[in-house]
Amino acid sequence: MVKLVKDIYETFSTIFKGMGITRRYLGKKPVTQQFPYERWAMPERFRGFVHNDVPRCTACLLCAKACPVDCIYIDVEGKGKERQMTRYAIDYNKCIWCSLCTEPCPTNCITMSHDYDHSVYLRERLVYEFVDEPVVPFKPSKEKKPEPDATGTATPVAGASGGEGGAQA
Amino acid sequence: MTQLLGGMPIMADLPGWAFTLIAMSGVGIILLLSIAVAVMIFSWAERKVAAYIQSRYGPMEVGPWQGTLQPIADGVKFLLKEDIWPTGADKPLWRLAPLLIFTGAFLSYVVIPFGPNFIGAKLDVGLFYIFATSSIVVVGIISAGWGSNNKWALYGAVRGAAQVISYEIPLSLAIMPIVLHVGSLNLGEIITAQRGWFVNWHAFGNWGSHGFAGILSLVSFQISLWIYFISSLAEVNRVPFDLPETESELVSGYHTEYSGMKFAFMMLGEYADVFVVSAIAVTVFLGGWYSGIPVIDRFVPAPLIFVSKSLFLVFVQMWLRWTLPRLRVDQLMHVCWKVLIPITLANLFLYGLLRTALA
Repeated sequence: MVKLVKDIYETFSTIFKGMGITRRYLGKKPVTQQFPYERWAMPERFRGFVHNDVPRCTACLLCAKACPVDCIYIDVEGKGKERQMTRYAIDYNKCIWCSLCTEPCPTNCITMSHDYDHSVYLRERLVYEFVDEPVVPFKPSKEKKPEPDATGTATPVAGASGGEGGAQA
Repeated sequence: MTQLLGGMPIMADLPGWAFTLIAMSGVGIILLLSIAVAVMIFSWAERKVAAYIQSRYGPMEVGPWQGTLQPIADGVKFLLKEDIWPTGADKPLWRLAPLLIFTGAFLSYVVIPFGPNFIGAKLDVGLFYIFATSSIVVVGIISAGWGSNNKWALYGAVRGAAQVISYEIPLSLAIMPIVLHVGSLNLGEIITAQRGWFVNWHAFGNWGSHGFAGILSLVSFQISLWIYFISSLAEVNRVPFDLPETESELVSGYHTEYSGMKFAFMMLGEYADVFVVSAIAVTVFLGGWYSGIPVIDRFVPAPLIFVSKSLFLVFVQMWLRWTLPRLRVDQLMHVCWKVLIPITLANLFLYGLLRTALA
């Protein structure tokens, strides 16, 4: 009999304590981050979609050769003074976001951006064309190549030098 | 309603039976629509309350504010869903089930006393009528389980039916002391016995009628209140007694084979029942349409007070859902038969002694 009364008391007191806890949570701000409207900022060296700054591209084809899955398609026509780049495309169906293409670039025009949410409905849309009409590749002058800044993009300076292989951090 | 229609020029000329028919259908339609809308609001509120207790947001996308139009989206979804018929199902029985569950819940709204002039039918056996109609739900549950041709649906249905009928006993026995005190099953009279200050509410012992024995009737009626509340949770299959319909236990119990509108009807019936049992708790224990402070009673319309108290109890039910773990079916039965029923019987006996002593 005493046990019954004690059990009943314990039942109710624990239920009320539990309800107090949930009541406290009812007043707290939820911890959910409402995704499309609120997002985390990515770390500095985050490897997002590759971005090519075409005006600075010298069409040296080093990035296409460095890519382990051959996802960069570059078409260059003409020789000497008539040299033109007719196509610069990156196929994101294949890209593995390894950033090996950003390392050999002599002008640091190819960089990893912080974008990550470009979902598409058709696979063809994942091939990004950076060049609409044939463009004359950039002619770097003989000055020192600029240091890339923290995001991996070089500050555009008129007349960057070429020739050196690896990217300077 | 009769007075309202009687004032209209054409209506008064109709023969008696047609007039009554139209008046009654009018009331019925208004009641049905308002309950359906209320149920939609409950389902939204349930999802939001559940979400905030769990530190998340709940529906946010659909409406202009905090997902308020979500139930409408749900309704449209239910309408558009494919109506699946299980093979081997007992067709008439399986079709009947949602209707019975829905009807059992809705029939109870007729006698709920929203206000002194706002009762559908002032039955002298109002309370008894409510217990009777809520038993129709049991027939619905069993036909859902059997007609589904699915053994888990049958398990869920049998457990659900066992739970509902078992808990009807403490439910009604708990209310007996109040009935003994008021002397009538009429819900309107039960409320008017609680007029005045809130110490007159049955939950606080109705000091007005008991005088200094109020301390004893307080104890007795408090026991009644808590046992009534617990049993009402079991009646409407809510946590901690929702074993028949838990997702993790029995897929969906007796709901399993229903899709689209049939499932919507069952959900509707269930939420409607939640409001009914809260309303009865408010009527019998918490003062009905009296706010407990006579000054307020004169200015605030009675249905508003009644409905807000009932909504508070509905909120408490939702709050409990996310606080308590579920009881196993044998624990459920143990609590009912071995704990609640002896307590309610003892309570009734002792209150009877108190009444005799007072008389």
